[in-house]
Amino acid sequence: MSLLTANNLSLAFGGVHAVDDVSFSVNKGEVFSIIGPNGAGKTTLFNLISRLYDTSAGSIHFNGQDISQVPTHRIAELGIARTFQNTELFEQETVLRNLLIGQHVHRRTNLLQEFLFLPSARQQELSFRKDVEDVIDLLDLQHYRHQVIANLPYGVRKMVEVARALCIKPSLLLLDEPSSGLNPEETEDLSFQIEDINQEVGTTIIMVEHDMNLVSRTSTRVMALADGKLVAVGSPAEIQQHPEVLKAYLGE
Amino acid sequence: MRFIKKTHYNQDIQLFKHRGQLFWYGALGVALLLFPLVLSEFYLGELSLVFIYAIAGIGLMLLTGYTGLVSLGHAAFLAIGAYTHAYLLAQGWPFPVSLICATLLSSLVGAIIGIPALRMTGIYLAVATLAFAIIVEQVLIHWVSVTGGFRGMAVELPSIGSLSLSDSIAFYFLCLFVLTCCLFLAMNLLRTSTGRAMTAIRDSEISAQSMGIHLAYTKTLAFGISAGFTGLAGSLLAHKIGYLAPDSFTLLTSIQLLLMVVVGGLGSLHGVIYGALFIGLLPQALALLRDTLPPVLAQIPGLEPGIFGLILVLVLIYEPQGIYGRWLKIRNYFEEFPLYRKATHKRQRSYLRTERLK
Ligand SMILES: Nc1ncnc2c1ncn2[C@@H]1O[C@H](COP(=O)(O)OP(=O)(O)O)[C@@H](O)[C@H]1O
Ligand SMILES: [Mg+2]
Repeated sequence: MSLLTANNLSLAFGGVHAVDDVSFSVNKGEVFSIIGPNGAGKTTLFNLISRLYDTSAGSIHFNGQDISQVPTHRIAELGIARTFQNTELFEQETVLRNLLIGQHVHRRTNLLQEFLFLPSARQQELSFRKDVEDVIDLLDLQHYRHQVIANLPYGVRKMVEVARALCIKPSLLLLDEPSSGLNPEETEDLSFQIEDINQEVGTTIIMVEHDMNLVSRTSTRVMALADGKLVAVGSPAEIQQHPEVLKAYLGE
Repeated sequence: MRFIKKTHYNQDIQLFKHRGQLFWYGALGVALLLFPLVLSEFYLGELSLVFIYAIAGIGLMLLTGYTGLVSLGHAAFLAIGAYTHAYLLAQGWPFPVSLICATLLSSLVGAIIGIPALRMTGIYLAVATLAFAIIVEQVLIHWVSVTGGFRGMAVELPSIGSLSLSDSIAFYFLCLFVLTCCLFLAMNLLRTSTGRAMTAIRDSEISAQSMGIHLAYTKTLAFGISAGFTGLAGSLLAHKIGYLAPDSFTLLTSIQLLLMVVVGGLGSLHGVIYGALFIGLLPQALALLRDTLPPVLAQIPGLEPGIFGLILVLVLIYEPQGIYGRWLKIRNYFEEFPLYRKATHKRQRSYLRTERLK
């Protein structure tokens, strides 16, 4: 059953057609990868789904609901979480507080309860913390819990961002180049963690990724983009052989 | 180094993280309660003023240090709190009710100011808040029936029922009590969702939105809360200065408030206290200094604002984390002695962000 459907999606920046009439559909439970050369429009596509940009044409449906007009801050509540290509963490905060911010959508306290730290607020903090610890265990971030983001190495930051997204408890997770900047060992770990998130937590994943090895190990289907246009969709093996895809990467 | 064995998540939520902290804050509390026995009336008055600055500073720190929104107009909220309180007292309202109403009104005005300020950040916001403060100053001058215009208005003495709070010891305890309550409220806010949403906005608006944080709502709220604290400080300040006139709340006051949070250390409540001590006691220090200077130098007009400005610039260049940041480094040095390395507080790696969305 389809979780996310994009119909004839387009976005132009001035004369640049960053996303040009793209239609695809992602099923519940899939790991759906998007590949394509730099500037193909992959990040822009994510920005459209997470409502940071308005579409110029076309529509996006999530769980059967049209989300192309939904305000940006409501997207997380609906169950869509994302990471950013170059990480957008809360730099001056600790890992723990970054993850607690990820729990924001689950808050039920009002301002008065928070100001007075009434038992309801304490209860909520404890339950947030328990959920955060589950995510920390899943992604092996125990060592970094109390460290400030600005002091962390890049690989760890990338994982913290995935962890923060998981704290939303999303049904759809968007990962923008999760392996870029990671060393081979970290990339290896990442492939297992993606499997865990997908199979144990049960999250559907859309992932922009350049590492074809990682893509073929984890993905159910792959979509190739070039110059904002959809080139092909298929299994990892099909896409790697696809003449149009090869042409897009190698040029004419 | 201190290693704390943690056995429950509650330990990370507590206001006091370990026994040592509890001990030192307890000792500080006892000292503050005993001060009236040893300090002269003059110094009690100066300390009350420091407490009042600190309350106003909590307000500005929540907005500037935690939400990342700079205000150059906070003297306006001080003024709104002060005048509202003085006016309501003159109408015969009881002191506590008047204090709360002045706080709520400042808060409401703050939230309303927050709305047009939503689309602005950085220097534009600073200029907009400055403009707002100028408008408030004009209102104070021209709304004669309420504010007394240039002539100003006298503030009635504080009292709860028949209990007078006007002598310096009682007023000292009043200010200390209100400050303690405000610190408690601010610390609670910062360890729950709304406080975290504010820091999220400071560090990355894009991420904050993607985490489900409503930017407009949270910023408006931050303005309202900030103005409330500052307005409350204003109502206490009204009693401290005794007679309100429009020139009690000028641009220089706004700059002093900003100086307080920057010099104290942005993004920390400790910083508010250090900053309040700093701006509360600096004029005394300058007065002493003036006596020792040759008359030619001491007579320079604008010496005080000049020195304020100079200190602000020096802090921004040499210790952007303020007095509190410097203190953490010194403490760290002694805790780790002799293993302390010079590079401990240097950023280890910094990354270029080439593809920011903005
Ligand atoms: N905010 C923007 N303003 C103008 N052009 C943009 C913007 N964002 C992306 N683009 C352009 O859109 C195209 C696609 O970019 P992007 O989605 O970042 O590519 P990818 O992530 O596939 O490398 C590029 O040509 C890029 O220059
Ligand atoms: Mg990209």
